[in-house]
Amino acid sequence: MDASLLNIQPTASEPIYRQIVEQLRRLIAGGQLEHGELLPSVRDVAGFHAINPMTVSRAYGIAESEGLVERLRGKGMAVIAMRKAAQSESQRLALLEPQLQELARHAHELELPAAPVLRRLTKLLGE
Amino acid sequence: MNAMLRETESAIVPLAVSGLVHCYEGSNALNGIDLALEPGSVLGLIGRNGAGKSTLIRAMLGLLEPLAGEARVFGEPALQLSDAAKARIAYVPQQPEALAWLTAQQMLDFVGRFYPRWDKAFVTNTLGRWRIQPNKLLAKLSPGERQRVDLIRALASQPELLVLDEPAAALDPVARRELLREVALRAGESGTTVLFSTHIVSDLERVASEVAFLHQGKLLMRCSVDETKERYARLWLPGKMSAAAPTQSLSRRRHDDGSLSLVVERDASGHWPEAASLPGARVDALGLEDLFVEIAE
Repeated sequence: MDASLLNIQPTASEPIYRQIVEQLRRLIAGGQLEHGELLPSVRDVAGFHAINPMTVSRAYGIAESEGLVERLRGKGMAVIAMRKAAQSESQRLALLEPQLQELARHAHELELPAAPVLRRLTKLLGE
Repeated sequence: MNAMLRETESAIVPLAVSGLVHCYEGSNALNGIDLALEPGSVLGLIGRNGAGKSTLIRAMLGLLEPLAGEARVFGEPALQLSDAAKARIAYVPQQPEALAWLTAQQMLDFVGRFYPRWDKAFVTNTLGRWRIQPNKLLAKLSPGERQRVDLIRALASQPELLVLDEPAAALDPVARRELLREVALRAGESGTTVLFSTHIVSDLERVASEVAFLHQGKLLMRCSVDETKERYARLWLPGKMSAAAPTQSLSRRRHDDGSLSLVVERDASGHWPEAASLPGARVDALGLEDLFVEIAE
C-alpha cells in the first residue's frame, strides 16, 4: 500500500487519526487491501501528507487494537483481511453507522416520523 | 551513554512561562500567561492580529523583559541564557533583520560555524528549492525571501527547540508544505520541540500536537488538536428555545433572528448538554478554524 492511498483532510471536523482508521477499515472491508499487505511506514505517511508522525502512530495503534492489522517485527504493519462473509453482520453494520446517524439527524431536523423514512429506506434496499 | 544523556536532557521542560504580563503604551499585550511545552511536542499558537503572539514568543525566549512573570528555557532564566542553551534553540522572527550586509551564502556560512550539528547539505539543497540566489545581499531580498533564508538557517542548525513566528507568511503553498513536513518529521523522529504561531489554521491542524488560542493577551484554551475537535461543538437553538440554553458555554452569540449559537463542551461521560437533544436544536461539529472564530469574536 502507498501512503497516497490515504486521503487526509486536515480542516475536517473529524480528527486526522480517525480519518486514517476509518479509511483503513473501508479499504480492508472493501478488499482493496489484501491479507498480509504491508501498510506504509509511519514516516512515509507523515512525510507524504506533512502530518505529525504521532498522529499516524496513534491511528495504527487503534487499527492494531481493532484487529485490522498486526505488527510484524522488523517489517511494520500488515493487514489482517477478513473476507466480507467472515465479518459478522454487526461488524458490517458498524461501518454504516456514521451515515445512519447523519440520516437520523436530517430526519429529525425535518420533523419526519420514523415510519415513512423506514418505508422509503426499505424500498431503496429492494426488500 | 548517549541515549542516557539525551534522556536526562529531555526531562527538562524546553519552554515554560508563568504569570507573564506585558504592556505597550498603556494597552495590555499579555495579561497573565502560563504556558509550558513538553519535549517533542508541537504547539501551534493561534490568535488574531494584535492578540500578542509575537510579544509572547519574544518574552518566552527572553528577547524582551516582561513587566511581570517568569520565563525559562531548558530550565534557565530566559533573560540570562547560557551560550550552551542558546546553541540548542533556533528562532525565526516574522521580519528577520540581522546581518543584512552579508549575502545569503555568507550569512549561512558565518552562522553555521557556531553550531556543532550544522547541516550544510540541507542549506545547499533548500536554497535551490526555495529559489534563493545565494549571492544576493540579504538587504536586497524581499521580506518573504529574507524569512525563507532565516528558516533555512534555523532548520540547518538542527535545534532541539524550534520557534517560528508566522513562518507561513513568507512561503508559497509548495514551500509551506515542505516546511510543515520538516517540522513534523523532526518533532516525531528527533524529538525537536516546536512552537509556532500562525493564522493559517489548516497548517496547524496538520502538524501541531497541541493548540493554544491567544486572545486579547489571554490564553483562551489550550488542548490537543484532536481533543478540540472531539470535545467541542456548536449548539444552535432557535429563538423561541433560547431559555433552554445551557448556562455553561465557551461563547454565546445571538443572531438577528433571535436564534442562539453556543460553543458547548461534552461532559465527563461524553454527552452534550441537555438542550442539544431538544427538537429543533442542532449540534454542528467544528473544525479548528470555526471554533476559533466562534470563541474569538
